[in-house]
Amino acid sequence: MSEERLFSWHNRVVKRSVIALVALTIVSMLIGFIWLPPVHEDFTLEGLWAGICRAAGVPANWGSDNASQAGTSTSVVLEPAMARAGTNAEIGRGATLALNCTMCHGAQGMSRSDAPNLAGQYPEVVIKQLEDYRSGHRSSPIMEAIVNGLSDRDVRDLAAYYAYLPKARTAPTTYDETLPALIRVGDPLRNIAPCISCHGGVDQKLGAPWLEGMPKRYLVTQLKAFIAGTRHNDPGAQMRNMARAMTDAEIDEVATFYARKASNGEPGRAAP
Amino acid sequence: MFVARRLVLAHFWVAFVAFLGAIFLGEWQMFMRSPLSAWINNPEHYYRSVTAHGTVMAYVLPTLVAMGFGYAISELALKRPLIGLRWAWTGFWLVIVGTAMAAITVALGKASVLYTFYPPMIASPFYYLGVVLVVVGSWIWVALMSINLRAWRKENPGATVPLAMYGNLAGAYLWAWTSVGAAVEVLVLILPASLGLTDTINAGLARVFFSWTLHAIVYFWLMPAYIAFYSIVPRAIGGRLYSDTMGRVAFALFLVFSMPIGIHHLFADPQVGAGFKFVHAAMTAMVSVPTLLTVFTIVASVEIAGRLRGGKGMLGWIKALPWDNPMMLAVTFAFIMLGFGGAGGIINMSYQLNETVHNTQWVTGHFHLIFAGAIVIMYFMIAYDLWPQLMRCGSMPAGLMRTQLWLWFVGMMVLTMPWHWVGILGMPRRMAYYDYSHPELQAQAWTVTASTLGGLLLVISAVLFVYILARARRTHEAPVPYTFSEPIHMPARTPVALNTFAVWVTMMIALTLVNYGWPIVQLASLEQASVPVIPIGGR
Repeated sequence: MSEERLFSWHNRVVKRSVIALVALTIVSMLIGFIWLPPVHEDFTLEGLWAGICRAAGVPANWGSDNASQAGTSTSVVLEPAMARAGTNAEIGRGATLALNCTMCHGAQGMSRSDAPNLAGQYPEVVIKQLEDYRSGHRSSPIMEAIVNGLSDRDVRDLAAYYAYLPKARTAPTTYDETLPALIRVGDPLRNIAPCISCHGGVDQKLGAPWLEGMPKRYLVTQLKAFIAGTRHNDPGAQMRNMARAMTDAEIDEVATFYARKASNGEPGRAAP
Repeated sequence: MFVARRLVLAHFWVAFVAFLGAIFLGEWQMFMRSPLSAWINNPEHYYRSVTAHGTVMAYVLPTLVAMGFGYAISELALKRPLIGLRWAWTGFWLVIVGTAMAAITVALGKASVLYTFYPPMIASPFYYLGVVLVVVGSWIWVALMSINLRAWRKENPGATVPLAMYGNLAGAYLWAWTSVGAAVEVLVLILPASLGLTDTINAGLARVFFSWTLHAIVYFWLMPAYIAFYSIVPRAIGGRLYSDTMGRVAFALFLVFSMPIGIHHLFADPQVGAGFKFVHAAMTAMVSVPTLLTVFTIVASVEIAGRLRGGKGMLGWIKALPWDNPMMLAVTFAFIMLGFGGAGGIINMSYQLNETVHNTQWVTGHFHLIFAGAIVIMYFMIAYDLWPQLMRCGSMPAGLMRTQLWLWFVGMMVLTMPWHWVGILGMPRRMAYYDYSHPELQAQAWTVTASTLGGLLLVISAVLFVYILARARRTHEAPVPYTFSEPIHMPARTPVALNTFAVWVTMMIALTLVNYGWPIVQLASLEQASVPVIPIGGR
């Protein structure tokens, strides 16, 4: 080989390659950052620099005003740490605080009214719902009055206590062909996901409550509240969208299914 | 071959046995969501299968084939024993342990995150550690290829690097740089979340890092096939390579352009600015250049073979080609699939057209046609071509090989063409089932059945492939000395830029910084950009 130097402006291959690459980069940047942005019909920014910033993906007013709380469905950010089991001290404190809840939710978290069972409920579910009542993202005259006096620590301790209690005598749903279709496979063309892909069975998503053994009337009321929009604390509107696509008969079917394993007082139920 | 025979065999056998297992998973998935089967009751099983299929086919198979082929090229092209045999075995075992770790985690249902593992979905750390081990094992290969070339250069100062080895090193350097994106994503963002050290993850940044790897990795898969086009095909069909220089230019262009273009996978992602999306789209178009150069050069080389065999006239040489030669069939099939797949790819990379096919079955059809079609069919040929050297088994059964190749080609076309079609109609990808009883979907049901049948042909072809390899028995005759293609005119001197990699690697890194620097810095410095992780299989 000759004494041809590689990194040298006299090397023709290198020189041409570098010039071509730089030219290509500059031309495509000019098109992408300067020419194309103002061509969009919805382009409202003023000035070249604003257009370049937008094309570079810089948020126009990120952080200048805190995302307004008005339109949000919840202020709770679900984090895996919220799902950890409580310590004995937390559970004990929670048990004391929970005396205040027994009237509706039952002495051991198993409701004798149509209020939801809380025994064995996932801790992050209880935390989220209590926080939502506190911040007004979920409304109930009774619950709002009760949670007003609760501190952050009280909320965590209550969640730890209820998660500690044994669930109703129900095994989680597992797949078999006999499950109602909506619960097992949903209805893809109506954008209804299977219940068991979040509420246990296929997967148990963070923040999705344990539904087995819930009073039927509670489930029906909540689904209808999601449809009406009177309940709207599902952060991705996931439950509102599921419920809106469901017919009354389907709501009755899934509520019957989840309530099928008895709540307190019904025949055939062993003591927890 | 000198010392690497068993090493190469080990790589190929593990690659192809894993491939055989994964292809059965693929066909099972196709069957489960076809009208031939009832809806799957637990979609989790479907996604578990998709994850295993994708992880084996996208990471394990091509990595092992590239490594094994690379070791073989190093000995056969440089004509000297491989340096670092013990390190090479270490790399091999790292890949094996990593694969086993990831596979077991997936099988347990702790990692159904698909092979793209997009956050905020987070799997068990064992899955990511497994993938990391596979990559680390392959980095050993990169280092060994570089060391072996350096040793050869020392012995042959000023000599032109054989084209096969030049392509091999281009693939190795490309892989070394491209795997950095996913490595950073896994080590810095995903593993802390997976180990429970953090509860949130910057999902947008993670996706940008993954796109760094995601597109260039397909060119890493493709390199062995292109090396085979240039350095095996012309020799195998009795022709000459039309241009040695063209091969080097193609490999150099792949090094420069395949890397900084991955944001075209994020056209629908709001966190990346439209300007960068356009620049990446424009540069993606540039990658078609080395492919078109290759198609031109190889067709010209094939024409030389036809004319050497007495073919006359404008098209008469086509008739004179050795059509009973499996390599002739394979390169033809590969180019047909590359043609359809490449045309589809140009649609995917166009910023506007992409909107019509984004995340539909079209995309699945596209990459199966290019990778599983054009590239994997050349992996078969690489194995067939090297087998007499590796097994000392004499010649391979041409009839069985032709049957296998035909099955693969027809199967792949029948599998992917319906996918393209329903993709245009809007069928989403990565769905465990479709409701064919719905009047709007019923008309598309037959296409899924057709794809299932195409998949069946592929399974038969894959079984036949492994059977052909397994039935080879050692004979007493010494193997015919292995040769690579001869160019029709060996250039008197190769420009130093096309005999080395420094310029192209520098351009690759510089272009990456230009195209990825700002999006990464900006996303990393945004406040409130992290979202809570979603652990998969946690409860």
